[in-house]
Amino acid sequence: MELASERFLLDGIVAAQEFYHSRKWTDGLPVVPPTAEAVEKCLEWAMLPPDHLVGIEPVRARRITAEKLAINSVMAGCLPMHFPVVVTAFTAMLREPFLLHGATASTGGCAILIVVNGPIRQELGMDGTFNALGSSDRATTTIGRAVRLALYNLLDVRPGDVDRSTLGHPGKISYCLAEDEENSPWLPLAEERDIPQHASAVTVMSAGAPRQLMNEWTTEPEQILDTFCAEIKASMRHYSIYPGNYAIVVPPQLRTHFTNAGWSKADIRQYVFENAKIYRREWADCGKGAVVGSRGDTEYQALSEPDDLLVIAAGGPAGGFGAVIPPWFGPKSKACTVAIGACVDCEIQ
Amino acid sequence: MSIEVLDPTYGGGANAFALAGRLASLEGKTVGIISNGKRGTRPFFASLEKYLKQAGAARVVWHTKANYSAPAEASITADVKNWDAAFVGIGD
Amino acid sequence: MHDAITVEKLGIPAVGVMTTRFVSAADLMARVLGADGYRYVAIEHPISSADEEALDAEAKQALNEGLAILSG
Repeated sequence: MELASERFLLDGIVAAQEFYHSRKWTDGLPVVPPTAEAVEKCLEWAMLPPDHLVGIEPVRARRITAEKLAINSVMAGCLPMHFPVVVTAFTAMLREPFLLHGATASTGGCAILIVVNGPIRQELGMDGTFNALGSSDRATTTIGRAVRLALYNLLDVRPGDVDRSTLGHPGKISYCLAEDEENSPWLPLAEERDIPQHASAVTVMSAGAPRQLMNEWTTEPEQILDTFCAEIKASMRHYSIYPGNYAIVVPPQLRTHFTNAGWSKADIRQYVFENAKIYRREWADCGKGAVVGSRGDTEYQALSEPDDLLVIAAGGPAGGFGAVIPPWFGPKSKACTVAIGACVDCEIQ
Repeated sequence: MSIEVLDPTYGGGANAFALAGRLASLEGKTVGIISNGKRGTRPFFASLEKYLKQAGAARVVWHTKANYSAPAEASITADVKNWDAAFVGIGD
Repeated sequence: MHDAITVEKLGIPAVGVMTTRFVSAADLMARVLGADGYRYVAIEHPISSADEEALDAEAKQALNEGLAILSG
């Protein structure tokens, strides 16, 4: 296997840390030094030649190759078996509707939310239960980090460089979770987004930080969703009013109530579509009166259509805590879903 | 203990290069076809071969790639030097 | 596009044939490969389901446009 990347001979693992940090090739955390052997193992596992073109970032006309993704994956701490997920996440991010450059350069500071579905979750020991939005397991933590390191190193998405985020959020270190399909009565997210049943897939979304909510005082699906809708509406008022992909994370304690009432994800999406909306005049209640103007009666919906809501079953067994994850900025970036390993003949979009 | 590590950064785009010299006519020339072998390419290139010969090409050499998603293999590119022009496709 | 550029770099003029659906990707690929503005032939998409008569007409078009590209 012929790797094209330049090589450096260093004095050891500790020396490697300073070497990579001083060149701004890392996020500040230690890296696993990417040797040719480790990189080749990733490529062999994924059955990809080093120069396999994962995709092209169109704004800067940069080719993203399997070799470079593998190097950054090794650095992040990925094992070879994690690598196909990184490749698939990047394939999805390079889809035109995702608008990767805009999403990663913006002052809005979104991160790349990565949701994994299918059998690969078990193969990699992914855990969609405890601490699902934190560091739940090795696979999701390292995969999320690999994506961020690749953005740093292949697209110069470093703070103050291409990345102009004012604040950003902790998801920019790693923002990957596995859906808890085994404990959910619902269809997996990927299957809802047209991936065949039993296939493994990755969904990516340009996402703000999660906004945690709590409702342990009702068993009515509508009332639980009213809490989610209230959080969405707050984001519309306080952050950005424009419609786009929202994600909601529903833990087991709340999923039970939907199951008992026979509610599917489609029912949830329809309810949120109909109820998550505000009037422009509500801006006046939160310090934005100056821009209400004469259009106070204009109504804004969080979702342009019900399918814009990503419903994710995840979280530990106890606690009526859910989360709302808002979009980067309205409809500019669209969530994309790609099956793992299926893209033998994908067009480079 | 020393270790050899790889550069994680972008490898750089291709530099601009000069295109090959132009060809005024196909009269008496050898034209190579590199087909990616996808569905529909066979009848397309069969017709193209016919029209190339009508336009004066003396010889048409036809190669089909083993893997349509990958660049043409070395055995094909090795033959290119024997041609005067090439038709390559079909990108879809 | 990649193969057409490879042939050009080997010193032989190449006519790339793409379908109309691939045009924007082809232009981007040409730019990435150092051949910004590279001229090629665009035929109707799709070809996988086109009948022989349609493909014959496309081939004729490809030849005519190809000759113009080859002669510069």
